[in-house]
Amino acid sequence: MKTKKIDYGRWLLVLPALIVVGMLLVYPIFSSLYYSLTSKHLIKATYDFVGLGNYQSVLTDPNFYKAFITSILWTVASLLGQIFVGFTAALALNRVKRLKGVYRILMIIPWAFPSIVIALSWKWILNGVSGFLPNVLYKSGLAAELPQFLSSSSLVFGTLIFINVWFGAPMIMVNVLSALQTIPQDQYEAAQIDGASKLQQFLYITVPHIKVVVGLLVVLRTIWVFNNFDIIYLITGGGPANATTTVPIYAYNMGWGTKLLGRSSAVTVLLLAFLLIVCFIYFKIIGKWEKEDK
Amino acid sequence: MSGKLKEKIGNGFCHLYLTILSIIAAFPLLWVLLSSVKSSRDLTSNPTSIFPKEFTLDHFRNVIETLGFTKNIANSLIIALCTTVIAIVISSLAAYGIVRFFPKFGNIMSRALVTTYMFPPILLAIPYTLVMAKMGLTNTRIGLVIVYLSFSVPYAVWMLIGFFKTVPIGIEEAARVDGANKMVIFVRIVLPLVAPGIVATAIYTFINAWNEFLYSLILINSTDLMTVSVALRSLQGAEILDWGSMMAASTLVVIPSVIFFMFIQKYIAGGMTEGSVK
Repeated sequence: MKTKKIDYGRWLLVLPALIVVGMLLVYPIFSSLYYSLTSKHLIKATYDFVGLGNYQSVLTDPNFYKAFITSILWTVASLLGQIFVGFTAALALNRVKRLKGVYRILMIIPWAFPSIVIALSWKWILNGVSGFLPNVLYKSGLAAELPQFLSSSSLVFGTLIFINVWFGAPMIMVNVLSALQTIPQDQYEAAQIDGASKLQQFLYITVPHIKVVVGLLVVLRTIWVFNNFDIIYLITGGGPANATTTVPIYAYNMGWGTKLLGRSSAVTVLLLAFLLIVCFIYFKIIGKWEKEDK
Repeated sequence: MSGKLKEKIGNGFCHLYLTILSIIAAFPLLWVLLSSVKSSRDLTSNPTSIFPKEFTLDHFRNVIETLGFTKNIANSLIIALCTTVIAIVISSLAAYGIVRFFPKFGNIMSRALVTTYMFPPILLAIPYTLVMAKMGLTNTRIGLVIVYLSFSVPYAVWMLIGFFKTVPIGIEEAARVDGANKMVIFVRIVLPLVAPGIVATAIYTFINAWNEFLYSLILINSTDLMTVSVALRSLQGAEILDWGSMMAASTLVVIPSVIFFMFIQKYIAGGMTEGSVK
């Protein structure tokens, strides 16, 4: 009798969260799957079942492939940049003794920026007429004319990636730093006595200790960057001439631009399927690492 | 000898690197703040001068009086606060439940929560639009609060698991021996111990709701109900770009986030890595 009561109690604790997850995350997945098989329209009330028709139209649209490739480039380049800057910053922060707190506070500022303010502040700094940076470059003679960071199709993609690195590196930095701080110092001391070089200490003590945390961080960031809608949408809207249209932007334009919600659902389902595959591979790797640790 | 010198050069290099990164990281905030108090003439004719030639609060006046930005701030505040309170109550219970009573499923649940992180927001946006329309919740604050729970609850549970794990079970057992019941143990012993973690998680939840853009764009279209993010974006739509006012409005939106963030930055890292791996 008494154990039964405890059983109910423990379920009662997790039930509200399970309901939220079920209603707001599981249900939408299935309804998206369903709508992706219909001709659902944003405004029209009636729709038909069209089978795999939406998938066929999406998978034969060259713009979808273009958006997909843009997404991959955007994710890989942003991620490499974020990891490089975040990781090196964490290592540097872990080493210095003075001013640590000041650097740390200044460097995490981007993380607190709402996407709309990221967009507006950079659009203003990079503005092609009276923006700070183009004018500095022009006046100092580094650029022959005012650089059009956001409207020239050759510069815009790199500029967006820079902004995304600026935004995402702090999160990597903070997490790597906290992982670095869990490494017992005596291991380094022992290694030093054994005559291990700094590089060896890094490879054989630092890396194994933090690789699981960093691996997980990479998974989360990959997904987050791949799914990111706000930054690109608010800064370029996917332009100029589709140069920055990623899959989420493509899906949004299909759903809220051309109002084809069924087809847009098909795009998002493909997006999720791709992410599931990527995550599966990542988790396999991390799982292997975790086993090695034990 | 040479080792010491090497150490010094290394340290100097680290300081230089961190200084450069700090400047790049903080510059946009500085630029938003400075631009919001420069005169419009100053903004367009002296793009490279850092400090304002004439200091003015006109842009703030314009944003608050003419554009009625205060009502957007109130909307965001109400929505973010409601989301935070509901999410934290639900998530604290769940995180405690997982840590104490479902130790075996704990890992699976953590993984499941991480999985929710990969749902593309744009995928969820379509069903949310249709369901909210069906329930008559489009263009309401309640609708947005419900939708915001979709990203705040999994995240909060995940972070809180990390904090609840730090409570030693011995304390709870001792209290049980003394005759305290479950409710008393949870409220009077466990909660105070994880209070800093809960506060940090709450602030983070609040900031995420305050900063959210996509769902607010899709679900709200009346100017009176717009959140700050969407209202700020609509300023861009105007024919003549008034950068001064946009920077003043940006200041009002970004300052609370930045200040809160500075308080909780230490907890976030610990909570995230604790909740995720161990």
